[in-house]
Amino acid sequence: MLTLVIGGAGSGKSEYAESHAMKLDGRRVYLATMEPFGAEAGRRIARHRKMRENKGYETIERFTDVGNAPIPEGANVLLEDLGNLLANELYSPAGGGAGAALTGVCALAEKCRHLTVVTNEIGAGGADYEGNTLTYMKELGRINCGLAARADRVIEVICGIPQVRKEVKDVDD
Amino acid sequence: MIFITGPLFSGKRTFAKALFDWSDGELLEHAVLDAQDLVKNEENLDALADRLAAHPVVIACEVGGGVVPLDTEERTNREKAGRLACLLAARAETVVRLCCGLPEVLKGELPCR
Repeated sequence: MLTLVIGGAGSGKSEYAESHAMKLDGRRVYLATMEPFGAEAGRRIARHRKMRENKGYETIERFTDVGNAPIPEGANVLLEDLGNLLANELYSPAGGGAGAALTGVCALAEKCRHLTVVTNEIGAGGADYEGNTLTYMKELGRINCGLAARADRVIEVICGIPQVRKEVKDVDD
Repeated sequence: MIFITGPLFSGKRTFAKALFDWSDGELLEHAVLDAQDLVKNEENLDALADRLAAHPVVIACEVGGGVVPLDTEERTNREKAGRLACLLAARAETVVRLCCGLPEVLKGELPCR
């Protein structure tokens, strides 16, 4: 089972994804992809840790190559988020390039009972970008389309309200 | 006319091609791409929308979701792009918004194939 949750900055996508994954039975793993660089990243990570308090998540940090993350068998995994993972694969010394993010997430999905992926909508602020920024936007758009095509469920979160964009029937949980 | 909108790289052209089974060349031939860029130096948006609506497909990128630009011309063009999208949607039989490759029909119906 693969669920993709997409939304803009501050749209409530994380809160939705975390509470959605809470409804699943079994072990819950939070796969954190943000490298803790600097004070702002530290604050974001602290805020998300606070949101997950008492929700029964084990946290695994993995910044690249998520397909080989040590996931306990049959766990429900919440990956947050795809935008960070892509940046790490593109720009980190350990990164595997543009294709590695999508390949990694697909491999990860095979190992999970249920994988929920949080991703970012970054294309609604105009088309006047160039260079690395445009490349990054294009790759994230491509990965989002690729994962949405593969997903059993796609949810767009708008000001905290989830909108179902895709739902494959016979989804049991 | 079918008006297709959505964020940058959300799969708008891929959707249009799949809908009509068009090649890249046929897409260029039949569809208006990047309609949001056509507002520059265009005073009469209604007339522009009328001209564009004569095509079977018009595609425009949503550009109004970011920070308001400091530059006056960019600000004006962004505003005009939004207004043009409203005018195109009003003229369209069908309006579709793409989100990560998934179409949402906002108005009318998709043509049967």
